[in-house]
Amino acid sequence: MNMQSSRTKAPARATLIAGVCGAFFMSAMASASAETLTVWSGYPEMAPFYEHVAEGLKKKHPDLQVKVEAIALREHEKRVALGLSSGGSDITVIELAGSTATRYLENELLPKAPDDVASFVKDPQNFGTFFSDTASYDGTVYGMPLFRGQGALYYNTEMFAAAGLTEPPKTMDEYSEYASKLVQRDASGKATVSGWSMRLSGGGQGIAEKFWVNLHQYGGALLETDGHGKWKAGFANEAGRKTLKQYLDNIFVAKTVSPEMPADADAFERGQTAMFIRESWVIGDIAKKAPNLKYATAPLPKGSIGLPTNLYVAGEEGKTQIGWEFAKATNEPENLVWLLKNVGWLPNRSNVDYSSVTKEQPAFAAFVDYPKDYSFFTLPSIGPVEEILTRVAAQLVIAFGDASLAGDDAKIDAFLAKTADEVNTILTREGLLAK
Amino acid sequence: MMAILPTLAIFAYVRLYPIVDTLRLSFYKWDILSKRKPFIGLENFRELMGDHLFQSALINTTIIAFGVLIITIPAALVIAALIFYRTRSRLSGFYETAVFIPHVVSLVPAAMAWKWIFDARLGPLNAALSFFGVEPQAWLFDPVLSVICIIVLCSWQALGYAVLIYLVGFKNLPVSLYEAARLDGASGPQSFWHLSVPMLKPITLYVSVVTLISGFNVYAQAFILASDAQGAPGRQVRVLVLDMLENSFRNYRVGYAASEAVVLLAIVLLLTLVQFGLLREKGKA
Repeated sequence: MNMQSSRTKAPARATLIAGVCGAFFMSAMASASAETLTVWSGYPEMAPFYEHVAEGLKKKHPDLQVKVEAIALREHEKRVALGLSSGGSDITVIELAGSTATRYLENELLPKAPDDVASFVKDPQNFGTFFSDTASYDGTVYGMPLFRGQGALYYNTEMFAAAGLTEPPKTMDEYSEYASKLVQRDASGKATVSGWSMRLSGGGQGIAEKFWVNLHQYGGALLETDGHGKWKAGFANEAGRKTLKQYLDNIFVAKTVSPEMPADADAFERGQTAMFIRESWVIGDIAKKAPNLKYATAPLPKGSIGLPTNLYVAGEEGKTQIGWEFAKATNEPENLVWLLKNVGWLPNRSNVDYSSVTKEQPAFAAFVDYPKDYSFFTLPSIGPVEEILTRVAAQLVIAFGDASLAGDDAKIDAFLAKTADEVNTILTREGLLAK
Repeated sequence: MMAILPTLAIFAYVRLYPIVDTLRLSFYKWDILSKRKPFIGLENFRELMGDHLFQSALINTTIIAFGVLIITIPAALVIAALIFYRTRSRLSGFYETAVFIPHVVSLVPAAMAWKWIFDARLGPLNAALSFFGVEPQAWLFDPVLSVICIIVLCSWQALGYAVLIYLVGFKNLPVSLYEAARLDGASGPQSFWHLSVPMLKPITLYVSVVTLISGFNVYAQAFILASDAQGAPGRQVRVLVLDMLENSFRNYRVGYAASEAVVLLAIVLLLTLVQFGLLREKGKA
């Protein structure tokens, strides 16, 4: 009986094993025939956008598998440095700021764009020269422009009304005056809601970038070019003094903000700050996290940072076509409108009608309807730009914790001169210092 | 001999080769992306000597490593003694587990929990201090307090492992000596001080070397406590490993970061030798 049973079980087992092996083989064949594309992004909020683009592309490529890997920006930059320098054959669409991509282009680690993409990028109907230049190196197109970081003021309209303020500040002096009126304090006089949330702490270069935005309003720049590819520190001057002094006055004199107070978009969404300067993605973030928040936006007094981000394609030579197809698909009008509406980053392509979104969400006005003389700056495309910003940020954190600097112009000047020397030393080391 | 060759080869490849290659890289200027890698001799080391960020990282790391050592070793010894002398207690297993859990808990969630504890506005630490009339402190923003926070977090994590090793040491101590001491009228604390502490010197040597080395390798704790997640940044306490990573993958200066690694290696080697010298010789005596 047992013998019989084992005899009948054996073929059944063999059939089962053969079936499993067959299924495994078939699935392996299927996955081998499927095209796989990886998207590396430094902005987690961009993941739904890339997934949306992938869905659209699947109509044409039903077997296409798109893996979207969106992580924090600083970690993304490290991943790109390691990934591109160690090679790899996987087709990867990489999101990079134009200033960061230069290093990789200098070292021929990213391929140039195919002709159809290059002519699309160079067409002035599609992109302004600023954006097509940022996606190019030595006149050759390497990237597909996608979106840009551009700052504006976000302010809580209910807090403004409670403080008797009817319109946003228009000068940097007004920013400080408003901050003093808007700050909320407890019985002991300690600030509980900051009047103006400034970037005062944390790691990385963000502190220096935000400082540069404020410096720009005073006519200064962290780095100045001589127009011949050389640079020097441009903040050890009156503009730098005014900018740093404004930070220090707000921290130590008016006490409208402090490093340990909740800051940035999260604080604004939770009603822990009355105003702050940030990029357009915050609009999408507020819509998701604080839909009932009463707020408005306004252009900055003089101008803003404009930091274009492009898509590049890496992978085995001759097989990157699908990557470029994906990059081009991101710039289809329907996808760009989706990006603006659902994520909030500003698309760079110009001949697309975004009015359905901008009319529905008035907060976008500050990013698209700015004054005619509004001026933009961007991070220079030079190798040591991250190192310079990180080192300036480290120095600024020290300054923001040093009460003795507040109100002492001589000390502020000495601090700025010392920091400028450090920047110029880096530029000298890299052979980039302007005379 | 032939049988262990593959193992030796793997060890050499994954352990020795990276060290030798790091030493070699420290004499080059290399940006990780370029094919050019010019030899610059000791230039990286010369620049390190004048780099205030490196100096700040070195000072912070040294303070953290020794701070953790100073807290962990005596605390672990006392806790291990208390647990050992209460082995008959029904709760002894609980004590051991409770002390060891922080060592096995994943670092990131643990550090996030400590970040909340240290939070200047919402943290339970400041809430507890306010009961005693102590002003709330900006734990993660003050230059001194933020270093102390990292020491506390690292010590909390290192304690479990140190206690476990000390417990093994206690279990191997000869009972007859303690009985003789008791007959001679020695109290519990006297036995602990005059018998346990000297006899556990080899264990103390091992635990202190391991603790000091892991203290010098501190990174994730500093990174997480000061990570600039929106709305909750802290003061970035610059430590050596963090500085190395920043120089390698953000500033693209691999040769320079390698020279930092060489300095770290030299410091750890030197301190380990000193510890061996101090504890082994006295232990023998």
